[in-house]
Amino acid sequence: MWKVRDDEPGYAFLKESTAPAVNYYEAPIDLIARTGGALPAGREMFINEEPGVGNNPNRNKQHAFHFTADNCIGCHACEAACSEKNDNPAHISFRSVGYVEGGTYPDFKRMNISMACNHCDDPVCLKGCPTRAYTKHVEYGAVLQDPETCFGCGYCTWVCPYNAPQLDPIKGQVSKCNMCVDRLEVNLKPACVSACLGNALNFGVVDDLPENREQAKVSIPGFPDPEITHPNIRFQQIKNMPDEVTRTDGMAVKYHKGDDGQYRPVVDQKKGIDKKWSLSKLSSRENPLVIFTLVSQTSIGAFFLAFWGAQFGVESLQALRDSIMYIPLMAATVGLAGIGMLMSATHLGKPWRFYRGFNNLRHSPVCREGLGMLLYMVFAGIHLLAMLPSNQLFIQLIGDWGRFEIIAAVSGYLALIAAVVGLYYMYRCYRIPARPFWNHWQTASSFFGTAITLGSVLVGLVGVPTFMVIGGDFAQLFTIALAGIVLGSALEGLGLWRHAAAMDTANNEGSVSHYIQCTVFGKSYVLRNALLLLNVCAAGVLLTLAPTALTISAALLLCLLAGVTAIIGRALFYVLVIPTTMPGAFFWKNKDFEEHAREIGLANMPQVGVVAHAH
Amino acid sequence: MIFGRKNRKPITITDKKVVDWKYAVCGYCSTGCSIEVGLNADGKPVASRGKGNAPVNQGKLCIKGIFEHELSGTAGRGVEPLMRNKIYDSFQPASWDQALDRTAAEFKRIQEKYGRDSIAVVSTGQLLTEEFYTLGKLVRGVIGTNNYDGNTTLCMASAVSGYKRSFGADGPPGCYDDFESTHCLMAFGSNLPEQHPIIYWRLKEALEKRKFPLIVVDPRVTMFAQFADIHLPITPGTDLVLLNALAHVILAEGLQDESYIEAHCNGFEELKATVAKYDPVTASRICGIDADMIKNVARIYAKAPSAMSIWTMGINQSTHGTDGVCGINNLNLITGNIGIPGGTSLSITGQCNAMGTREWSSCSGLPGYRMLEKQEHRDEVAKFWGVDADFFPAKRGLQQTDIFPAIESGEIKALWIVATNPLTSMPNQPRIKKALEKLEFMVVQDGYKDCETVNFAHVYLPGALWGEKEGVQTNTERRVNLVRKFVEPPGQAKPDHWVFSELAKRFERGQAMTFPETTSEIFDEMKMLSKGAKRNLDISGMSHDLIEAQRGIQWPMREGEATGNPRLYSDGIFPTPNGKANLLAMDYIEDNEVPNESYPFWLNSGRVVEHFHTRTKTGKIGNLNKFSPTPYMEMNPDSAREQGVKHQSYVRLVSKRGDAVVMVQLTQRVPHNMVFIPMHYHDCVNRLSLGLLDPYSRQPAFKQCAVRIEQIDQKEAGRLNVERRAF
Repeated sequence: MWKVRDDEPGYAFLKESTAPAVNYYEAPIDLIARTGGALPAGREMFINEEPGVGNNPNRNKQHAFHFTADNCIGCHACEAACSEKNDNPAHISFRSVGYVEGGTYPDFKRMNISMACNHCDDPVCLKGCPTRAYTKHVEYGAVLQDPETCFGCGYCTWVCPYNAPQLDPIKGQVSKCNMCVDRLEVNLKPACVSACLGNALNFGVVDDLPENREQAKVSIPGFPDPEITHPNIRFQQIKNMPDEVTRTDGMAVKYHKGDDGQYRPVVDQKKGIDKKWSLSKLSSRENPLVIFTLVSQTSIGAFFLAFWGAQFGVESLQALRDSIMYIPLMAATVGLAGIGMLMSATHLGKPWRFYRGFNNLRHSPVCREGLGMLLYMVFAGIHLLAMLPSNQLFIQLIGDWGRFEIIAAVSGYLALIAAVVGLYYMYRCYRIPARPFWNHWQTASSFFGTAITLGSVLVGLVGVPTFMVIGGDFAQLFTIALAGIVLGSALEGLGLWRHAAAMDTANNEGSVSHYIQCTVFGKSYVLRNALLLLNVCAAGVLLTLAPTALTISAALLLCLLAGVTAIIGRALFYVLVIPTTMPGAFFWKNKDFEEHAREIGLANMPQVGVVAHAH
Repeated sequence: MIFGRKNRKPITITDKKVVDWKYAVCGYCSTGCSIEVGLNADGKPVASRGKGNAPVNQGKLCIKGIFEHELSGTAGRGVEPLMRNKIYDSFQPASWDQALDRTAAEFKRIQEKYGRDSIAVVSTGQLLTEEFYTLGKLVRGVIGTNNYDGNTTLCMASAVSGYKRSFGADGPPGCYDDFESTHCLMAFGSNLPEQHPIIYWRLKEALEKRKFPLIVVDPRVTMFAQFADIHLPITPGTDLVLLNALAHVILAEGLQDESYIEAHCNGFEELKATVAKYDPVTASRICGIDADMIKNVARIYAKAPSAMSIWTMGINQSTHGTDGVCGINNLNLITGNIGIPGGTSLSITGQCNAMGTREWSSCSGLPGYRMLEKQEHRDEVAKFWGVDADFFPAKRGLQQTDIFPAIESGEIKALWIVATNPLTSMPNQPRIKKALEKLEFMVVQDGYKDCETVNFAHVYLPGALWGEKEGVQTNTERRVNLVRKFVEPPGQAKPDHWVFSELAKRFERGQAMTFPETTSEIFDEMKMLSKGAKRNLDISGMSHDLIEAQRGIQWPMREGEATGNPRLYSDGIFPTPNGKANLLAMDYIEDNEVPNESYPFWLNSGRVVEHFHTRTKTGKIGNLNKFSPTPYMEMNPDSAREQGVKHQSYVRLVSKRGDAVVMVQLTQRVPHNMVFIPMHYHDCVNRLSLGLLDPYSRQPAFKQCAVRIEQIDQKEAGRLNVERRAF
């Protein structure tokens, strides 16, 4: 148990609660009631394995921070007290203070915002986490995360709108605010709250106004839409802010006051309006995911076409299935799926814990994606093995082991089902409200479009030369592959077109991503779009022509272009996303400064608080 | 668990396994917060927390205090004395005997050759009071140079001079409790939330209980200015004009406290005649505050049942800093706001023990606010120490800012620097560097061997830091508070008082005097010297243990009293010849380097909350340093657009002294014609600053000079930025 001091100051103690029965969102504040009585009150929390129940009379009520934004002086005492208590190194902070500001000297206002975990009613981190490292407790409603369970995929850091979970690239795991439940058990406010020097930060049962406060709003300028997670934080902000407030960090976001008095994110043209290539910036720490998604989708697309097309009775595909090259083609799809799985594992902070990625099938799209892809690989592998004895080369070299057509068909269909599930949840993983740029059906059209395009390319690349050598109707396969490229690229193009239109008018961080897309990566973006259009047109023209040496060479070039298009497009997809994070400060929580510090070598000094090179 | 899982997940929360909490007053600023430092079973400091029942901070700490336990593990500490013949040689390790013998021998040689005053000693506000007293005894009683000063000349000298001119003696007359009873608070050039966050919190607590008007005078829109009821964005360096105009309105409208003035003030007629020239319209054209606003503020202040003023470097660091302080004192004297609850002139001091050095170091005179200029004081101290009274000079010597010019002119040949870093902290760094190169001998005594000034030293003496020795410090409200020793100094580093006593032994006069070994014995000696009728600076009722028990005691606390006294001059009697305070008639003289066509921007400087002074401590603690790891400059976005300067890019600033490379932060916090740079960084703001001196305090005007902005290649600037950051 946390030890209360003899001279513990009065402000450090939680006050008696006069909270209503339900919170702002009409959910019961009594957490036992929220479980429908499924769990008893008075349970031990076993903090650091210590037994005993604290003396806090409200321990089964949802608690929340209350932040008087009018009062915050930006003194960092809350952040410091938190890091001191949790012994966090400089590059990790469970709580951070950033600010927005506006006006013209001397009519200038800065509003500091101190933010940690909001222990949400609908914790998207918990739902997203594939390892089930998160638990929302009936004690205080605390959402606690166990770093030892975490394998460092960072998905919780994607879905959280408040940047609460902290991914430590050195330790390869996430940790976060623990609500100081050890202090709560003995009736003390969290360390950050007790340390506040502006009388801005407070804490208690949710929707129970602190002393001397009159307001419990659910949002302030710069705070993401509370509807995403129903966060347990309330605000007082009575002093007027300018109609437009800006951020000092590198994010090209500012906030504009709407007719309803609410502030909404709009584009701040911090990066100018010049169109650039920024090709080197296309490479990011998400590169493994670029590879993972592309190769997995290629694999699925190719498997679909080759297996299902043959099952469907398409002549040339049946011929391909019966040819010597079917096995190498299947081996390529399984191999690509394997490379994809490997890439997704290297993206983890702790790759050797990959097996924990299936622990939250109930909630996490990451789990379902992972399981789908794994099962696809396994069934595709079985299909490969089942088809192997039919291969002429196998028979020549090893002998006739018989035919396993039923196994091959069943495993093939199972692989198809798993692939659809995997690909669908691969898409669902990116439908994140806190990442508006991804949260659009274009993500699906891109993933499925890529599968069709690159799958067709792969089948074409294997099949057409095969038929040319062994003799066969390569014209049909040539047509199918080209049609796939037209279809896939057109689907992707359609999605991108609607996505751009939607982002342009979205008035959220998605519009900001789109602005970056059109400026910082403007030339790369135009190149990709032009290539996509070229792919559709060129494939379309080639479709009308007979396969000659010239058209086949052109088609080969087209395959290469399709690959390049996909790589640029997918890299853009990852580097462009701008989350709905809290505003940062000039140095701390400023991505642009972090990048600069790494570039010039300042990050090599640990006291700069920037990790020199992410793993 | 509502959701997540059925089986229990372990809840692991860091337990630092503290077995013992040690009491200490904070070693950073002058607020004087009481800290408890937690030691684990190995005796390693692992945690800090505010002392719950301490009167000053009531359990709160600012960011620096929260991580103060990490000081003992910081990089760059000196662990053994170092010596070299020439400053271009590399240092060689030495024993304490070798280092001290050489220092004493060099001092003797130089004094013999060039005279007693050819040695200068520049001390600090960072030592314990007992150490200051010992250093004063050594310098005044043994070495005998008159060129002895502290770095407090860079921060508090104007407050000291102003208090002396107005009230006859130094010593802030008010206390933090005054916030609880005041009816109006006016802050001049003070950014409490950033510089003194705990004092701000005390003020905020008072304001939440009972609202009263808060007026902030500052050319920048700081958080404090933003939270004020009235913000006066004054033109830099023109405080005296505003103060004279406020007095003008008060006298013109008959709002003054006639009876208080009659009973307790000298010089009213002269004041009246002078401020008559500063009508609000005339004043508004100089100080940039409109006439109606001046009248409004004067009325609010004068009509409040009690009103108080606080100020910091915005007043002190100015060419007329002392006049500004006296102007504030004038304002409070004519409204009867001295020595009453909620009515005071409270200078918010800078360093943790700036007050201790003012009181006891003998820098500006003799211990206990005694003056060299007074024969009876010289006699008294000479007798107490066992020194010939004639050994003391009859007039104070050079101050820190005059010592460097005296090195230039060749009057001073040797310099002893104690716990200060003039190479980073003095204005006009190019001039300081050049001066230091001329010295025949320089010794630097500091806790950090990577303190930049060490680069110019012949001998380096490693000092013990906060928590590595025991003794007292005095805070802004005259509260004497105690630091207990809780950890051993690294390697052979020694407490500064040990170094002083050991050095004294190497002089004949020193051998004849007694230098007590422990700080509590030194404290007893100071207590004896503090006694005397009508002496305000009386600590004779205190002891180390009593100070810890009461979490600090405000002087005066005379022998036999139960505790200290919150305020001075409550009886209206001032330590002047006739017992009355002096109202001072002061004309404003424009003498700043103001922006012009070639150098179109004001250069303003100040602190940030996460750093202390020249970053030798805070630059090494990641959880502090990360909030501002490199130099930056606040600049107005409108002027940036005109100059083609971009947010978060580098620019090169040029003044008539030199240049500096900084990263640009665009913000409307600063006016169109001003840039603001935090003062903490080496090779930065003081390569540019001019630092014209106040005629009384000799304090430099750090905050007023002119610069221009030049473009710089961004890659080159990034490289320079890294090169210039040793920490």
